[in-house]
Amino acid sequence: MLEARMTQAATLKKLLDAIKELVTDANFDCNDAGINLQAMDNSHVALVAFLLRAQGFEHYRCDRNHSLGISLASLTKILKCAGNDDVVTLKSEEDGDLLSLVFESPNQDRVSEYDLKLMDIDSEHLGIPETEYDAVVKLSSSEFQRICRDLSVLSESVIIDCSKDGIKFSASGDIGSGSVKLKQGASVDDNADTSTTIELKQAVTLTFSLKYLSNFTKATPLSDTVTLSMSGEVPLLVEYKVSDVGYIRYYLAPKIGDDNA
Amino acid sequence: MDKKKKPRQQTLMSFFGANAAGKLPNASQTSNKSEDASSPAAPAPPSSPQSDSSNRKRKHSPQPDAVNEAKDNPDEVEMPVSDNDSPEEPPKKKAARKNNIPSGRLIKKGDAAKKAAAKIVTPDESASEAEDKKVVSPRKRKARNEEKEGSPPPSKKPNKTNSDNSDTEVDDSPAAENPISPEPKQQPSKKKTTPTKAINAKATGKAKTSETKIEKNASSSFVDTPQGGTSSPTSEFEKDEKEAVKEEKEQDDDKKFDKEVAKATVKMMMAGGGSPKKGSQITWKKGDDVPYAALTNTFEAIESTTKRLQITADLTDFFKRVLQLSPHNLVACIYLCLNRVGPEYEGKELGIGESILIKAIAEATARSAASIKSELAEKGDLGDIAQSSKGKQKSLFKPAALTVPSVFKTLKEISAIMGTSSQQKKIALIKKMLSACQGNEPKFLIRSLEGKLRIGVAERTVLPALANATVAMNPDFAKWSTAKREQELEEAASVIKQVYSELPTYDEIVPALLEKGTKGLAEACKLRPGVPLKPMLAHPTKAISEVLDRFEDMSFTCEYKYDGERAQIHMLEDGTVMIYSRNSENLSAKYPDVIERLHKIPKEGVKSFVLDGECVAWDREKKCILPFQVLSTRKRKDVQTADIQVQVCIFGFDLIYLNGEALTKEPLIKRRELLHTSFKEVEGEFAFAKYMDGNTVEEIQTFLDEAVAGNCEGLMVKTLEKEASYEPSKRSRNWLKVKKDYLSGAGDSLDLVVMGGYLGKGKRTGWYGGYLLACWDDDREEYQSICKIGTGFSEEQLAEHAKFFKAHIIDRPRPYYRYTDTPNLRPDVWFEPVQVWEVKAADLSISPVHQAAIGLVDSSKGISLRFPRFIRVRDDKSPEQATSATQVAEFYRNQKINSAKGGKDEDDD
Repeated sequence: MLEARMTQAATLKKLLDAIKELVTDANFDCNDAGINLQAMDNSHVALVAFLLRAQGFEHYRCDRNHSLGISLASLTKILKCAGNDDVVTLKSEEDGDLLSLVFESPNQDRVSEYDLKLMDIDSEHLGIPETEYDAVVKLSSSEFQRICRDLSVLSESVIIDCSKDGIKFSASGDIGSGSVKLKQGASVDDNADTSTTIELKQAVTLTFSLKYLSNFTKATPLSDTVTLSMSGEVPLLVEYKVSDVGYIRYYLAPKIGDDNA
Repeated sequence: MDKKKKPRQQTLMSFFGANAAGKLPNASQTSNKSEDASSPAAPAPPSSPQSDSSNRKRKHSPQPDAVNEAKDNPDEVEMPVSDNDSPEEPPKKKAARKNNIPSGRLIKKGDAAKKAAAKIVTPDESASEAEDKKVVSPRKRKARNEEKEGSPPPSKKPNKTNSDNSDTEVDDSPAAENPISPEPKQQPSKKKTTPTKAINAKATGKAKTSETKIEKNASSSFVDTPQGGTSSPTSEFEKDEKEAVKEEKEQDDDKKFDKEVAKATVKMMMAGGGSPKKGSQITWKKGDDVPYAALTNTFEAIESTTKRLQITADLTDFFKRVLQLSPHNLVACIYLCLNRVGPEYEGKELGIGESILIKAIAEATARSAASIKSELAEKGDLGDIAQSSKGKQKSLFKPAALTVPSVFKTLKEISAIMGTSSQQKKIALIKKMLSACQGNEPKFLIRSLEGKLRIGVAERTVLPALANATVAMNPDFAKWSTAKREQELEEAASVIKQVYSELPTYDEIVPALLEKGTKGLAEACKLRPGVPLKPMLAHPTKAISEVLDRFEDMSFTCEYKYDGERAQIHMLEDGTVMIYSRNSENLSAKYPDVIERLHKIPKEGVKSFVLDGECVAWDREKKCILPFQVLSTRKRKDVQTADIQVQVCIFGFDLIYLNGEALTKEPLIKRRELLHTSFKEVEGEFAFAKYMDGNTVEEIQTFLDEAVAGNCEGLMVKTLEKEASYEPSKRSRNWLKVKKDYLSGAGDSLDLVVMGGYLGKGKRTGWYGGYLLACWDDDREEYQSICKIGTGFSEEQLAEHAKFFKAHIIDRPRPYYRYTDTPNLRPDVWFEPVQVWEVKAADLSISPVHQAAIGLVDSSKGISLRFPRFIRVRDDKSPEQATSATQVAEFYRNQKINSAKGGKDEDDD
């Protein structure tokens, strides 16, 4: 049986918001280390994976590994019933077909309980290799969100060009072209934590779909910074660390043939 | 890699493998990886120095299962080919390009044994490696080149060589997968061996006559006709005659054909020793689901030929393999071959428009919808586009391959989607399938979704193939003599056809066939109410004398031929009533009124029946039959009994089933007697078709005149006692029709001006598939649209016209072009008024869209032609000498006068 108590319902809400556009149904895999999710979008272009570590919960107990097949839209609906500061408890029996959610208000004067029906979802688990990337860029997540939003005006795809002195996002389309360059070390809001840092082994230039990237930036509320890890011709890894609790990672296959006419 | 205007989206699957072990990932994927020895990542590092950066990313292979390898492998041979290696591309370059790609390569470098032991390489990887790297054996390459050049697709391959191959493939040893293996793997769907060719050649020679005809038929059905009709000859008689002749030929051909097929199959068996020829095609593990690729490869082979014998042989071969390995998938296979999602009479359709497909393809490939549209105009086939878009995409690893049942299930799901955001849901499902597609799958998947498979496979090919496959599965088959085999095959084909014509649903036939074989099939699957059978059809005749010639020395009867809609009325034991059309379409929703009052008709003791009749519009006040045009104004769906404007009366003329007994074998005279004794007439609701058993020209002529006077189309003449059984789905010479129209001569020809053209699709890509024609109105000095035309052209003519009119394209219609601007009618291109065509039409009718002679016959509606057919170019006429609006109106009025008492339909518009 699974029992997990989380102090802030908001975290769960944000997490859901960050994935529900990409996938509709997914298995939440629970084991003693925490709760995992891995799912691909329909066209197998992007993959989202998150981990909520056991330590991140106020209380966490999972006797045996099991999978909760969840319709993300339904879970989102139920989570809407929780206040941001509510304490959430997730409960599920191994062979049951329900996920129980208990929301307790911070001062404990209101307790609501919901049961969500689980579904059977066939999913293939992908072994994602730990990779050393040619370029690992950490930047402000809101800056990244803005760049994606701004460049979406111009084109469906963005070229990310990472060199020693900075990272450049550029797009060109029917109405014109544009680019945003972030310099190494610079911070958009004078906060050292969100300054742009680049670890570079080799300069890389890759093209990605802005639609997907914009989708990933739905995770912005989860973290101040985002890490983009890139190597030629391998999927981009976009990672948001969720303070203490875990992370959410997106993988996006690059586009090929990037002479953007 | 020719077109890359836009960056193309890759899928993640190209990079990650699925973890088939299916276990829960550990807390982090990383740890999972390092812990799990069998995980693909592990062996990789030692295997090679990471010479290029991309190698760092390792691939993961989900299915160590050797069978999967075997199954996946074959399509690999084709799949990546379309992408990265066209044969002419130098291997070096390709290898170079591939260098950037992660994974597989590494493993490749590692020794094969290790790889085998660890079973980490996905089939795709190894195979695609083989492709990519061009370590491909020269033989293989050569074979592929041949294949590209459209090598002959003889399907029969003697078994010997194959069995070797197949052994290797089914063999569990992944070593068999070693891409460097000099032994050429299977050539999916294309087999070549000399003995086979010889056989085929012989068989083909014999079947030649029938084949040529079939080719004609087949090609005509490919032709894209904007008008919807396939052929529209000058007069209705010609039309019917042509249809009938065609069908009859088909029937005759079918008979001959069955023999040919039987012979060919026997030969094939002998050559093959009666055992499976797996090596020639994709194989899969016994009991597994049939890979979709196995089906599409069969399609591919079928598409490359127009010879029906060949098609049947390919299909037989495929069915046989399905029977051997996964009989439970056979039904799905058959439906996919026929491009249906269920029995015909259920009327389920996919209902997927081009625009949805374009969107889905665009999303799946990250191309813009606009570029797909423009490519569509150029290539004309979305399937090909999907395939090439797909093929350009780099992939090292594919999602779990599509299987026949999964595709069929998804298609069924799609056909059931309705309501809000149904389009999105459909697109999502299509995208999902598309992303799992490989090789030639997208092409056929898209075509299936469009409902245009265009491979020339229809029931009459599937049925014999099914029969052959079943018979060939007989364990004793090898022991039989040639004659015995031929006989068995032929018998089976006729049994299956017979059964299918009585119970046209594979959902029942196939399981019965699997269980009981062809011998017990007829016993197990019988005509029964609730499942519509194909109605028996009549042969047209031109003159009464012809009737007498045909029925010399036979007793026959004449019946009124009512001008309505064929209706097959079923009543089940439980009282449920269903009405089916000539095409086995369920009309129950159209005729709730008929269903409601049907209980009045049967006399006591009648529990269940199938009655054949005609549903005719009926004027309750005047108590007379109304023309067909009135009936066609009835709503087709969601009819409420209370709102019905057009009342109908059923005229029953045959009884096919009564109280648990099929009457198809009984002579008409008995069936008619039963009909009359089991049912009673109800005025204005149900009547027996009027008949007369006379047999002199005068009697028949008088009866015909009466029929015409009674607003009927003419007469049906049927044998009564001898050769008088009910032959479902046959256009039989035992039923003749004499229509008044046949007797009154041919249709009119008009000279019309070409106004615009519609871009051709399919076979007509690059030309215009249809044209918009107009007549000239002297008074208003304008051209008025009169019809679209798409038939009557030869290929040469199409090419000529396209060439001619391309020089006369104008960017907008002339101000003196009068037409209704609806998307359906608006031509893709407009032309100057430069050429006049002579066109023949079956008839003229009032049209809500066309504008010809507007105001002359109807104040707001024009006249259009039904079934227009191109005759020739009138070089001698200038556009302004074209048939004038006044003449068109005249033609229309004359026609009214001819069709006796047709005056009624004027007030019914």
